Amino acid sequence: MALTLRKLLPALALIGAAAVMTGQAFADPVTLQMWTNATNDPLKGIFQGAADAYHAAHPDVTIQITPIQNESIGQKIQLALASDSPPDIFFNQGAALLATQMESGKVADITEFTKSWIGDVGAAAGNWAYDGKQYGIPYTMHVVGFWYRKDLFEQAGISAPPTTMKELDDDIGKLKAKSIVPIAVGGKDRWPDAFYYDIFALRLCGEESMKAELKAGKLQDKCFTDAGQVQLDFLKSEPFQPGFNGTSAQQGPGSSAGMVANGKAAMELMGTWNMGVMQSLNDDKSFVDKIGWFPFPAVEGGKGDPTAALGGGDGFSCTTNAHAEICADFLHFLSSKDVQTQMVKANSITIPVVAAAADAIELPVLKQVVDFNSKAAYVQTYFDLALPFGVGQALDDAAANMFAGQGGASAVVDAVNSAG
Amino acid sequence: MSRRRFDLRKTAELTLLIGPSLGLFVLFVFVPLITAGYYSLFNWNGFGPLTKFVGLTNYLKILGDPLFQKGISNSLFIATLSVLIQLPLSIALALLLNGKMRGRSVLRLLVFTPYVLSEAITAVVWLILLQPDGGLDALLRAMGLGSLIQLWLGDPNMVMWTLFGVCTWKYIGFGIILFLAGLQGSPEEIREAAMTDGANRWQVTWYITLPLLAPTIRIWIFLSVIGSLQLFDLVWIMTRAGPAGASTTMATYLIDRGFTRYALGYGSAVAIVLFILCFAFALVYQRYALRRDNEGAVTRGAEA
Amino acid sequence: MSTLAPPRRIPGPLFDPIVPVRYLAAILIVGVTLLPILLVVLGGFRTNGQLNTDPVGLPNPWVMDNYIKVITGDLFWRFLFNSVVIAVGTTIPTVLLGAMAGYGLSRYSFRGREAIYSLFTIGLLFPLGVAVLPVYLQLRQLHLLESPLGVIVPQVAFALPITVIVLRPFMAAIPRELQEAAEIDGASRLGFFWRILLPLSRPALITVGVLAFVTSWNGYLLPLLVFNDQNNFTLPLGVAAFQTQYARDTAAVLAFTTLSIIPALVFFMFLERRIVGGLTGSVKG
Repeated sequence: MALTLRKLLPALALIGAAAVMTGQAFADPVTLQMWTNATNDPLKGIFQGAADAYHAAHPDVTIQITPIQNESIGQKIQLALASDSPPDIFFNQGAALLATQMESGKVADITEFTKSWIGDVGAAAGNWAYDGKQYGIPYTMHVVGFWYRKDLFEQAGISAPPTTMKELDDDIGKLKAKSIVPIAVGGKDRWPDAFYYDIFALRLCGEESMKAELKAGKLQDKCFTDAGQVQLDFLKSEPFQPGFNGTSAQQGPGSSAGMVANGKAAMELMGTWNMGVMQSLNDDKSFVDKIGWFPFPAVEGGKGDPTAALGGGDGFSCTTNAHAEICADFLHFLSSKDVQTQMVKANSITIPVVAAAADAIELPVLKQVVDFNSKAAYVQTYFDLALPFGVGQALDDAAANMFAGQGGASAVVDAVNSAG
Repeated sequence: MSRRRFDLRKTAELTLLIGPSLGLFVLFVFVPLITAGYYSLFNWNGFGPLTKFVGLTNYLKILGDPLFQKGISNSLFIATLSVLIQLPLSIALALLLNGKMRGRSVLRLLVFTPYVLSEAITAVVWLILLQPDGGLDALLRAMGLGSLIQLWLGDPNMVMWTLFGVCTWKYIGFGIILFLAGLQGSPEEIREAAMTDGANRWQVTWYITLPLLAPTIRIWIFLSVIGSLQLFDLVWIMTRAGPAGASTTMATYLIDRGFTRYALGYGSAVAIVLFILCFAFALVYQRYALRRDNEGAVTRGAEA
Repeated sequence: MSTLAPPRRIPGPLFDPIVPVRYLAAILIVGVTLLPILLVVLGGFRTNGQLNTDPVGLPNPWVMDNYIKVITGDLFWRFLFNSVVIAVGTTIPTVLLGAMAGYGLSRYSFRGREAIYSLFTIGLLFPLGVAVLPVYLQLRQLHLLESPLGVIVPQVAFALPITVIVLRPFMAAIPRELQEAAEIDGASRLGFFWRILLPLSRPALITVGVLAFVTSWNGYLLPLLVFNDQNNFTLPLGVAAFQTQYARDTAAVLAFTTLSIIPALVFFMFLERRIVGGLTGSVKG
């Protein structure tokens, strides 16, 4: 055996030398692990397609995608960052979440690798930067608003979407009179409940103090407690589906998104990913034309700008494994006009990070959302991501508890201030 | 062989025999406990060194947290209901099935099946069946019992009862088999003698059969309570401790606070508190209830 | 008082009213026990449409796609393989180490023997579910995360108490004479252990082995924390992950779940007597 090997050795050396001489690079093939939260098509397919296309262009790079359900991915990422082998590319919503993840020392600084093209992504990338350095790249931005069924509104005799809370309350009454569930909410996942609180605070608080207090993690302005009271009053009108505390937001046709998709509820307060989610929950796609959108109504006496919106974004970060540069390159590919256009066309994302891709939007309702986003005074990041991470979770819990009938108007403020 | 050589050899053998087990056991059961005690004194998100010493603050926060208290009360709820409902039910069914009947071994097999399934798989099965308008609701409607339908997992007031129901489904077979064995191990003659003396079935059961089952009952209670205290898989998969924390158990509180919130110092403190609770229960129980059984062991065994 | 006649069995009444109650109870129990499982098995043979319109009907028509998709896919087999590796990897060391410790603690007398035994007993009341967070941190320090050893080693450690507690009395009960006879024939204490005691202890060894195997097979929390890469998931973990990922494809989830139950059922059918006998035997003593 050894003899044979010794005989082969010169031959192998010759081949190696020949390869080098012909200039053909035997690059080491690498496989990158990528975690996304896109467990459903079309977005799942788009990511896979992007990975395949990238592999075709760079045969030595394979990107292996693991889709993880949205409600589990947060914890899994945290566990992964604490271990020795986190995935190379992972789903990241930036803001204070990124700040916490940075402490693991495993999130890669990709400033160098992204300098040349980060301008294309625009101001959005700021949410994935820390201390002037870039740690992630977004692929879509969100705003939160009401998705509603035009056919059910018509049935209830509502001619136009509400612009004030009073009108919203009236509309809720009209829908209930026709035995239609006015609003679906995914209480089980808690963050949909927090949307309501966040937006009430957004409407009631002045921009400066709100941003400052969120950053500090201590809510002291009275407007935050007022928001709690407004939320309690809203809950009293019982606008939600039966069993809303146990309904998930996106899992299965019984989820809040599924309810709107299947015509079982008239409205849902949700982000811009919702069209994609709804499409995966109803095989009969004719419902898409019946979906409309309106921004959260104005709240009486609010100091906040009525055109401000709650939102955030989805993106990816790289870990400090050896392949950060390849990761950054792939993220560049994901934010290219082609891939962004694909996502937009499939209605998987609504607001691309590359403005030019917005031209490809076909659905009028999505165009309306993009339009609103560009005219919004500012977009406030979801409170649970704007606050330090554990504190943000406490806020979500407190909001969900209020929805379940536990806690008074100051419950959220108390939870946030004591969680620090 | 000289005495000393004998001892040396014996020591060597003992080290070989017991060493690995003891070492592994200490390394993975006791050492983590001690390090958890250390971590519990810090605010720590799991990354990097421990820098934020907080002393016993974590413990104070835990004991004052309404969600933790809910976790304890829920765990106790399950434990208590097990003893109040599952125990009599298991015994009654075991008594009922103890008599001569055809197909008894097949019955034993079938009844034991849920116990063999993993809790995680059981949770997935029941999660699907308990959806609104899912399997269970449809069954109830088909039997004309539609008015009994509840929001099994969505109603905060209903959810713990639902979880207890699923637990019962899973573990009642185990109880039945255990008690069947206990019954078959107890002498038939005493019962027959009693019946000769004119005792009726109920009296025989109450005064003779049950006392004979007492050791089995004590062990069942011990296993059941310890099991209730660490209930996790079922709850985590079916409700994620929801809605709004209504189905929190001590174990889900530990995982939720410790991991999901990046608060490993706090989580370590929770682990210590839970350990103290389990330990206290077991000590008290062993002292007063299992005293009659073997010294320092849970089971009866031959004297060494 | 002595009687001249031998004791007679009490003749039961001609029609013992408890008998039909007994059969009724049996049918009820079997029904309640098996119906959910049956619904899951049958659900896999239906389409999502069928399930939505009639959650508890019979498959009409019978659809094989779901099962075929799962069987021909590689997720299921990978999870199964991982579970087997980990369960076997847990069982063998548990039985071996447990037997060795049981022997040392039962047939040697030395100072501290009862103390060590009590240490193991304390371990019984410190279940893995409560210890998991500190154990996770320990595993992380030892760089055992994402590896099967990260699940196997703690599982062995936590299975040792019950193993030792079951084996010690069993081994203690083996007659002294046997050991003395072996020693006269020139066997060492360890030789006696390996060649005579172990084979004699087979029933108890099988019992603790089965116990360790089943506990490992059904484990969820520890693998959940140790494994991030889906390729390393064990079966219970995989089923739960499959359910969250494919929540809208209920029929596929039911098919996947059914297939995951089969190994456990098969295993149980073959070893039912051992499992049940062993559990109850350890209770009766």
